[in-house]
Amino acid sequence: MKLSPISQHSVSRKSRLLLALTSVLLCGTALAQERGGTLTVGLSYDIDTLNVYSTGFLHDAVAPVIEGLLAPDKNAKYVPVLAREVPTVKNGGIKVAPDGKTMIITYKLRPNVKWHDGKPFTSADVRFTWEAVKNPKFIAESKSGTEDILRIDTPDPLTAVVHYKRIAPDFASTLFTFGMLPKHALEGKDLNTDPYNAKPLGTGPFIVKEFRRGQYVALTRNPNYWRKDAKGQQLPYLDAMNFKIIPDSNTLVTQLRSGEVQLAYNVPYAQVKQLDALPNMNVVQNKVLSWQHLDFNFKGPAALRDINVRQAFAHAINRDAVSKALGGYPVPIDSVVVPVFDAYNKNVPKYPYSLSRANAILDAAGYRRGSDGIRAKNGARLSFNIMVQAGRPNDEVAQQVIIANLKSIGVELKPDNKSGVAFREARYNGTYDLWYGGWITSADPVYSVFFGSKGVNNGQSYSNPRIDQLLAQAETTLDDDARRATLFTFQTELMKDLPTLPITTNISMIAFTNKLVNFTPNPTNMTNFVDVASWYLRK
Amino acid sequence: MNVSYLFKRLVSMLPLLLGVSLILFGVLHLAPGTPLDVYADNPSVSPEALEQMRLALGLDQPAHIQYFHWIRGFLTGEWGYSIRTGQPVTLEVVQHLGPTMLLGGVSFLLALLVAVPLGVISALRRSSAVDYTITFGAFLGISMPVFWLALMLQLLFSVQWRLLPSAGMSTIGDGSVLDLARHLILPACILAFASIAGWSRYMRSSMVEVLSQDYVRTARAKGLPGGQVVYRHALRNALAPMITVVALDFAGIVSGAVITETIFAWPGIGRLFIESMNGRDYPVLMALMMIGSLALLISNLIADLAYALADPRIRYE
Repeated sequence: MKLSPISQHSVSRKSRLLLALTSVLLCGTALAQERGGTLTVGLSYDIDTLNVYSTGFLHDAVAPVIEGLLAPDKNAKYVPVLAREVPTVKNGGIKVAPDGKTMIITYKLRPNVKWHDGKPFTSADVRFTWEAVKNPKFIAESKSGTEDILRIDTPDPLTAVVHYKRIAPDFASTLFTFGMLPKHALEGKDLNTDPYNAKPLGTGPFIVKEFRRGQYVALTRNPNYWRKDAKGQQLPYLDAMNFKIIPDSNTLVTQLRSGEVQLAYNVPYAQVKQLDALPNMNVVQNKVLSWQHLDFNFKGPAALRDINVRQAFAHAINRDAVSKALGGYPVPIDSVVVPVFDAYNKNVPKYPYSLSRANAILDAAGYRRGSDGIRAKNGARLSFNIMVQAGRPNDEVAQQVIIANLKSIGVELKPDNKSGVAFREARYNGTYDLWYGGWITSADPVYSVFFGSKGVNNGQSYSNPRIDQLLAQAETTLDDDARRATLFTFQTELMKDLPTLPITTNISMIAFTNKLVNFTPNPTNMTNFVDVASWYLRK
Repeated sequence: MNVSYLFKRLVSMLPLLLGVSLILFGVLHLAPGTPLDVYADNPSVSPEALEQMRLALGLDQPAHIQYFHWIRGFLTGEWGYSIRTGQPVTLEVVQHLGPTMLLGGVSFLLALLVAVPLGVISALRRSSAVDYTITFGAFLGISMPVFWLALMLQLLFSVQWRLLPSAGMSTIGDGSVLDLARHLILPACILAFASIAGWSRYMRSSMVEVLSQDYVRTARAKGLPGGQVVYRHALRNALAPMITVVALDFAGIVSGAVITETIFAWPGIGRLFIESMNGRDYPVLMALMMIGSLALLISNLIADLAYALADPRIRYE
């Protein structure tokens, strides 16, 4: 069995499978549609709450339960779910004010959608979702987009008119895509502590049967789900889905091998080969919208503000060696925009691996090697801390490669690994010299959060007016072509200035039983379980 | 031992616990980060929203005011809500304490039932092949990494033979006692293993010491049957020092099962502690640490009391 990379660019085993299935559906052959089965998924993290707006984790276990108006598909393109279509300027769903500064989005809702308790889903729920999440009393992990909205009108139960305070091209990746909250069940309740958080009410193909903290979430089929397949058969096909919490990665692999778990993602690279060797197991690569990078902290040692030093770093790091150390699954990358996006610019300034170039740059800039082999200028040694999140084996491996690479050009890097809140605080406040880690974006990436002067994730205090201007431009236009052109320039400018070194893409390895049919990985941070209705287990 | 002694001991725990809580609270607040830092790198949480959360959680107040609020709540049973999950802290603790007590209790009994006879046999057959074998086994047990042994047992029992579940506390949808017992076997054995190794060594040396005492020699000289000498006279005295070790270890077993709980996906207090620590979930952390301290004090007390029961020469006033 060979690994098959999955992306919209390659014809993989999965797409062939899909093609075959589609043709079966379209031809309406006598072949009976198989259905049923209970799928048990292994998750490597403890779930804190099942409320998508307050959880600090991905929405894996909740994605089959609560639905949004839109959802990203396997190609990271938004498709309608509870809305009837994705609003665009072209179809009249988005109307821009004459001054070009605000916009109105009209969602036409799907009729005959019912909550799990049988009550109809209406535009009042859309407005309630916004109000509930926006409420300052609600302590939420994600309030994305709430502040951009001025008001929501509900002229009829199936129409929601959302008035925005600004032009928000990323509207689809926030609020209404995460999931709808039921007004009739939550109005007047305290969302911080309501039992909803352990047993959310949704419109999705599965219903929460039981949530045992630290153990599992058991979902059962929603017999009244609004979707039917092409042949008019009721979806979903699976009888039940379970999400089992297995914090230890070795144990997770053991569970896959013993059949106690039938699907797991983010399988450690080191264990892919042994899983792939199993006759009843598929392992596929999912190209997630995420990349690994090394950031320079501009509040840190002065040498890091010297472009020569950053350029020397760029030439000294052997990204092929990093990729190889990680099993060869993540591939070297030159830009911060991952190749999955059409805004990916492959013609950015490049810094090929060359120790002699790196040495020459540092020599010319006046950094001389001391008796200990470490370079220094005006008494300041090129010695820095390099932080990664503790307990992430892949990051720690890459960290070792980077340390070794830099040592050969006379730069000393000392590991400084932190976990939990201590790590987040350091990253946010910029109490590090260098940080190696990953960023993930939504299907509508907003880069100003990372590289804008006021970016929330800009813990490195990077500030470049040109970058700010380009990002502001890209993030306020609804014109896809103009946006792509601006993002192209942004990438070029960023790679000239090098506040960050993109190292590799991120690949999530997914292992699943070969009995599972119709599974397609999703590259976005909306999880692989955003579209599970057509999955089933072959007998 | 009398009731007034017991009362005195219990009352003396109060200022001790108060002091412990003060230190724990101080250390927690000195550690970098606050519960809100989990939102720090989230672009969708605006600085204004963060400020509102800070106010809502009372984190804007000086530490001593926060401590005062906390201790008042703690004493009146208002343990608050977990910042991470929004669940009441009491519920959170109860949900996780049960599985840990079960796992800890079972492995404790298992360890005791195995370690004591092993130690006795080892002592009685001193310097024999049996003694060497047991000693070898004990040192193997002390030096074997838990995660490696666990992985081996999982591969053998779950993957190879498919006899036992490799992790978790129950099969989803099956709440039977038998199912629970099946899930308990591997983690309980692993957790007991390390204790068996240590305890059997204690038992052996304690037994060896007692067997060389004059009264044992006298008993033998008077012609008492060997079994009676060993089990009626020697064992009872040899057990006394064991009690202290074992009773003090009990608190450790209950609170120290973090690795075992993580490997076996056991939803216990150890994992709750790690998760809460990573999120700086103050209300849960404080409750857990207070319970931990209380457990330690109580097991200390039990050790003292049990010691007096086992050895009539000891009297507490």
